[in-house]
Amino acid sequence: MAWRTRGRGGDVVLESVCSVLTLVLVVAFVELGDAATAVDVYRLIQYDFAGAPFGSRAADLNHLAGSSLSVSEADLSRTVIIHQVRDLNLTLLNGIITSKQPLGGLLLLLPQRIGSSESEGKTRNDSINNDELTRNILTELEKLFIHAHIPYPVYFTFENDKLLAILADVKRSDVNGQPASATSGGYKLVLPSREPKKVSSPTIINIQGWLPGLKGDSDANQLPTIAIVASYDTFGAAPALSVGSDSNGSGVAALLEIARLFSRLYSNSKTRGRYNLLFGLTSGGPYNYNGTLKWLKSFDQRLRESIDYAICLNSIGSWKNELWVHVSKPPENVYIKQVFEGLSDVAREMGVKIGIKHKKINISNPRVAWEHEQFSRVRVTAITLSELSAAPEFLESSGGLYDSRNLVDETAVYKSVKLVAESLARHVYGLQGRNIEIFSENSSLSINPFYVKSWLDLMSRTPRVAPFLQKTDPFISALEKELSDHTVDVHLQLESIDGTFSFYDSTRATLHIYQVASVTFDLLYLLAVGSYLFLLFCFLVATTRGVDDLINIFRRPPSRKAKTA
Amino acid sequence: MTMFHFINCAILAFGPHAVYYSATPLSEHETLGTSIKAAVVYLLTTLAKLICLATFLKVSDTDSFDLYQELIKASIGFIDVVGIYFALTQLTHRNISQAHKFQAVGLGWAFADSVLYRLAPLWIGARGLEFTWEYIFQGLEANANLVLNLSLAALVSLMWLRKNKPKSLIPIIYACVIVLVSMPSIVSYVRKALGWQPLKVVGFELISSLFMAFISWQLFESCQRPST
Repeated sequence: MAWRTRGRGGDVVLESVCSVLTLVLVVAFVELGDAATAVDVYRLIQYDFAGAPFGSRAADLNHLAGSSLSVSEADLSRTVIIHQVRDLNLTLLNGIITSKQPLGGLLLLLPQRIGSSESEGKTRNDSINNDELTRNILTELEKLFIHAHIPYPVYFTFENDKLLAILADVKRSDVNGQPASATSGGYKLVLPSREPKKVSSPTIINIQGWLPGLKGDSDANQLPTIAIVASYDTFGAAPALSVGSDSNGSGVAALLEIARLFSRLYSNSKTRGRYNLLFGLTSGGPYNYNGTLKWLKSFDQRLRESIDYAICLNSIGSWKNELWVHVSKPPENVYIKQVFEGLSDVAREMGVKIGIKHKKINISNPRVAWEHEQFSRVRVTAITLSELSAAPEFLESSGGLYDSRNLVDETAVYKSVKLVAESLARHVYGLQGRNIEIFSENSSLSINPFYVKSWLDLMSRTPRVAPFLQKTDPFISALEKELSDHTVDVHLQLESIDGTFSFYDSTRATLHIYQVASVTFDLLYLLAVGSYLFLLFCFLVATTRGVDDLINIFRRPPSRKAKTA
Repeated sequence: MTMFHFINCAILAFGPHAVYYSATPLSEHETLGTSIKAAVVYLLTTLAKLICLATFLKVSDTDSFDLYQELIKASIGFIDVVGIYFALTQLTHRNISQAHKFQAVGLGWAFADSVLYRLAPLWIGARGLEFTWEYIFQGLEANANLVLNLSLAALVSLMWLRKNKPKSLIPIIYACVIVLVSMPSIVSYVRKALGWQPLKVVGFELISSLFMAFISWQLFESCQRPST
């Protein structure tokens, strides 16, 4: 017999039993990720500025879902409010934040970004209609969040059908007057997270590359230099979503394309100009161009004096017909005039309008609104080319929630590249006032739209908030490699970020959404199972032993008690 | 709370076996030993079945219904019949009648089946935060399986162990055994090919098991009559 023969191989059996037992134990204590829905969520930024705490100060979520923000008697301190950004009531939210009403958490559903894989099937028209509205809401929301101190976790995620279905469910039960609680069941949002930690010694990384000009035998002096500069990092309400396609991905893409075009000209000694070209990708843009300041400080005096002028590219990806040249010296200044005329000549030929805006620098004010102001402060002639007509406020227009790929119009970037490159070439080769198109289409020096587009796409996928970009980040290496493909003496400059800022990590996480049953349901379930078993028992006793037996069973206990007593 | 849900589901899945044992005369005759031995035989039979399945069945990536595969699966199911026959003949417990013996074997068989196929999923799934109806359905399925296994044991005991049964009933008995053995395949057909909702599938299982139990009971009774 099977179980008797097993006795002989007792050791083997024992061993296998042991292994089975271990397996059972392992299975018993393993918690599987069994949530019906797991979504990628992006936390609101958490930072300290000059010692004051800002942003969302917590990361841990373990509460039931609710859908209504409206201030009522209901205690929302144990509820995570899920809300679509597109119909968010900002005054209400503002009231909640300023009155410090406790919430369990906030999960905001952003509209799908166009071009992302999940929205491909949807029509473009539909989203364009809502574009302006969404843009305004997102900008306002971002402003509100960045300057607020919020003690509970705030997360962003993108809408999808599953989340919307859950939201509709939650809304329905809220309307029915059953706000989420342990007794009514609902959806539970769980995101285990440790306390967010301060990012230790956040760095800003500037990258520079040179295209050296051709030194004639006659000039012993250093060649004059023209600098092209773009700040590449971003800042926004959700660090993991701050891709900044327009601010300032467009500027970086344009800079790389200009570097590529001039590297072709400079590779041949016949077409090598008598100017050095300096390309700078600076970091720390949102923080008063802190990186640019440190970069300029690292130059020696001779180099700084040799810079003829600098062109800073900032947000040049979504203009229609008008670009602005921002300067901090009066436009009558001879150097400024020269640069501006060079640009406006080309602009006229291209049929685009450029205007000039003068904004004086107030040395006592720490706010640096434009990148060229850092150059002006060290007395280098500089302009910023931008589609923005007015200087952005601190921490704004630096690549926030709305600034995604669909905001950027590639042709605007091409036009900007053409404008800058053409005017630069005329200056370098001394062709001012002559109508010669150097980077004409279909020539070997034409703008490569695919190159620009692929860089725009890459940047629109890469969040670039400086404290979260390490030196080893693939994006930094990609920028470095790209610049070293076109220019020489590529150099990375690591600087620590201005001490008044500190940032906290946990910028992205996975949120599990469970549909949970209520305690009431489980009690009812137990009751149903219990009565089922009881009825089954009675039925079986009655059919197999007779009804009398059944009655006896229920009579016996008291009689037995009586006997023992 | 989730532990609570797990306990509820476990009671639903395994409770009926205990109730059946304690409510029927099985407990009076102390047939627990027979049931346990039947469970051991079940384990060995299942092992043999799994080896056969692994040998003869293709692993299909799609969740579709494949008639050929299901036929093989159903025919491998006849190993069950052999197992039950073995349990009925070899596990002689002298002092119990034929009727109680098949019940004890069927009970042990069904209980081992439930534990083997449902305990681990229940433990892993029903303790989670996420609520689904699935585990409640599994508990109900366990009930249907208990009924089916009891009927199968009854028919097997009729088929080979009872000599003086009416000739006319033999084909019906065989047909019923075939239906019972191919029950898993029928359920999988209903689930996959017809695409029924889980609730409907469980309802079908419960009703069909009760129906089969009724037929088996009638057959058993009619075979009993001439001998008494």
